[in-house]
Amino acid sequence: MAELSFTQEELDEIERLKDKFPTAKAATLRVLWLAQNKYGHVKDEVQNLVAEALDVPKAHVHGVARFYTQYYKEEKGKFVLDVCTCLSCQLCGGYDILHHLEDELGIQAGETTDDGMFTVNEVECLGACGYAPMLQVTNGVYVNNLTKEKVDTLLENLKNGNMPEFESKAMPELEKRNQAASE
Amino acid sequence: MPEVFIDGKRYEYEGQPMLLQFILDQGLEVPFFCYHPSMSIPANCRQCMVKVGTPVKDRETGEFELDENGDRKIRWFPKPQTSCSTPLQDGMVVHTQETSEEIARAQKDNLEFILINHPLDCPICDQAGECPLQIQTYKYGPEGSRFEVKKVHKPKHVDLGPRVTLDAERCINCTRCVRFTEEISETNQLTIVDRGDSNYPTTAPGETFDDPYSMNTVDICPVGALTSTDFRFKARVWEMNQTPSIDITNGKGCNIDLWTRDNEVLRITPRQNEDVNDYWMPDAGRDAYKLFNENRVDRPSITLDENNQSNTSWNNAIETFAEVIEANDPSDITIVGSPHASVEENYVFNKFFNLLGVSNAKFTPHVIPGSGDGFLITDDQAPNTNGCRVINLDETDDGAIQSVVSDAKVVIILSDDLIGRDVLTSSDLESPYTISLATNISDTTKASDLVIPITCVAEHAASYVNVDGRIQRSYPAKETKYTNRRLNLEMSEGRLDRFGTNFDNWVSEENKVDCLPLWEFLNKLADRLGLEFEYNHSREIFTELSNSLDVLSNVSYDRMDEEKGVQLPIKQKEVKA
Ligand code: SF4
Ligand code: FES
Ligand code: FES
Repeated sequence: MAELSFTQEELDEIERLKDKFPTAKAATLRVLWLAQNKYGHVKDEVQNLVAEALDVPKAHVHGVARFYTQYYKEEKGKFVLDVCTCLSCQLCGGYDILHHLEDELGIQAGETTDDGMFTVNEVECLGACGYAPMLQVTNGVYVNNLTKEKVDTLLENLKNGNMPEFESKAMPELEKRNQAASE
Repeated sequence: MPEVFIDGKRYEYEGQPMLLQFILDQGLEVPFFCYHPSMSIPANCRQCMVKVGTPVKDRETGEFELDENGDRKIRWFPKPQTSCSTPLQDGMVVHTQETSEEIARAQKDNLEFILINHPLDCPICDQAGECPLQIQTYKYGPEGSRFEVKKVHKPKHVDLGPRVTLDAERCINCTRCVRFTEEISETNQLTIVDRGDSNYPTTAPGETFDDPYSMNTVDICPVGALTSTDFRFKARVWEMNQTPSIDITNGKGCNIDLWTRDNEVLRITPRQNEDVNDYWMPDAGRDAYKLFNENRVDRPSITLDENNQSNTSWNNAIETFAEVIEANDPSDITIVGSPHASVEENYVFNKFFNLLGVSNAKFTPHVIPGSGDGFLITDDQAPNTNGCRVINLDETDDGAIQSVVSDAKVVIILSDDLIGRDVLTSSDLESPYTISLATNISDTTKASDLVIPITCVAEHAASYVNVDGRIQRSYPAKETKYTNRRLNLEMSEGRLDRFGTNFDNWVSEENKVDCLPLWEFLNKLADRLGLEFEYNHSREIFTELSNSLDVLSNVSYDRMDEEKGVQLPIKQKEVKA
């Protein structure tokens, strides 16, 4: 891998982030995030770069990076699809969705397509049980109430560089309760 | 004075102690793992739970509210509290596992939780016998486990660094080791990675755990997760004797314990002394155990013809020594004392030859500027530089030693590898007749004409004055050919309860070094030379010293024992390079 470095702009941003916290250590999460956005991962070298930029112990950054699964400790596809197979999603067909994706992309969960476009992961509950089954795209947008067709469209869109919209859903129960309260 | 009630008993306290430490200070017990008195309190093991409440006060009058029995009303904290992180408050009421079923149950369940993934490998684990987890489980733990699924497997026998091996499966994530590198040694080399039931401590990628204090983490790890690479699988703690002593690898004089079995020192661990080293010691000091076992001068040896050293009898060695002294004028004899030898040795050494008319012993400090770290490693490489000053030996620099040695016909060197540490070269010792009184084979003993083996710090009771002017002493931990542990009352003997193993009888002769305490050898030499000089014990020597020297008046072995060493009213001198 080529020599890694932050640009002056990024360094300024890091300074700004540091100022938001009482200690430099506390800014580790944010700066790791910045680095992951830049490189697409925080492999060991990137972690060390972050440690240097923040002037905090390497071991500390390593501990933080390895604590959170959202930081990628290896190179991933351009889009990381985290398919939930936890209980609610499982009951509503989470595995069907996962296997469909695996078939479509020709990879197993945990793997990345040869063109580096997609990584598929099997994950635990992402807290969207009400709209099961669901998946998450690269630590970001949730795609809910999945069907095979919806998955196909998603793949097509992503290939064309179109990120899905964030779907906001109101809880029917909550709506009812709010209504009752306002009456 | 503020008061606190623990298990129904009233105690008074001062300052702002934390509950767990206060309980321990009273000689009471609450089980714990992550707490360490010298480090920050993360309260992450959750083992030290107790039930805590505070009395209810009337807001207006400030009076305690009373219940129908006339007792104070107590407002209990809604959940058990970790006592390590709970500061005492006036009137606080505490129930430990002794008086609360609920707490006993909570502690038991917590242990069950900690043990979910902990392997039950006590029979082969190095920590067995001194494992807090094992002990607490025995005292407070559950008899079984509800977790009958397969345990999580984590990395095993990982070399974290040159001296520490990790077995991640045993780790209970107390973070003591991580905090040690952050707060005590300040190298920040360790961190905990991953989470939940798969986390464990490790170094940053590409780094090794080569902290000069790394092995302290082995001592404080409450389980067998961190083990000393060197000591692993060598011995069980209950087979060994533990004898208090002093680190002789630098000037700090860290308080240590020597762990011996069958007359070999197998490991060295720090002994707590808050005036010197707290709970810690440098890794280098632990390595010294080899000095006590290996490469010892064993039997006197004599150089007959050029470069041909061979062992000889004690009688012959004494005879040769005496003849050399008789054949030379005292003014042609130079004696060199040593900051590496004890106060007692330097004193009797000097006194003996003074009686023969030889002028005062010289000594040269063993200082490597810049090698200290401001913590427990000092520039001074010797344990007793100040001890030589206290008894007024002639402090000189390396050059002066070289010139007196080259002028002398006879040079007698006490326990100091002057060639090895570049004060002299072997050619300096070519013309004078050189006698070494030494513990270990060195460049200096190799260049000597007569070598007399003497006891090392692990074999005698003697005192040493550290860089800060604190006098502390050692105890014999292993037998020599001529000591008998049942007769030598300074020696510790097996476990206190004496239900030891065969090793407590220390049967094999081969690990006993053929050497004598310096004073005993000088007794024999005095006998042969018709000199009035006799000491039976280092205690006797020290009494003589404390009677004659002002700085040592009121200092005795007993006082050193009671107070873990005595601070002398001396200042550290500018060290000469
Ligand atoms: S290795 Fe030992 S000291 Fe370190 S966190 Fe684990 S149990 Fe605690
Ligand atoms: S089970 Fe899938 S989001 Fe909760
Ligand atoms: S000792 Fe209190 S929580 Fe660990």
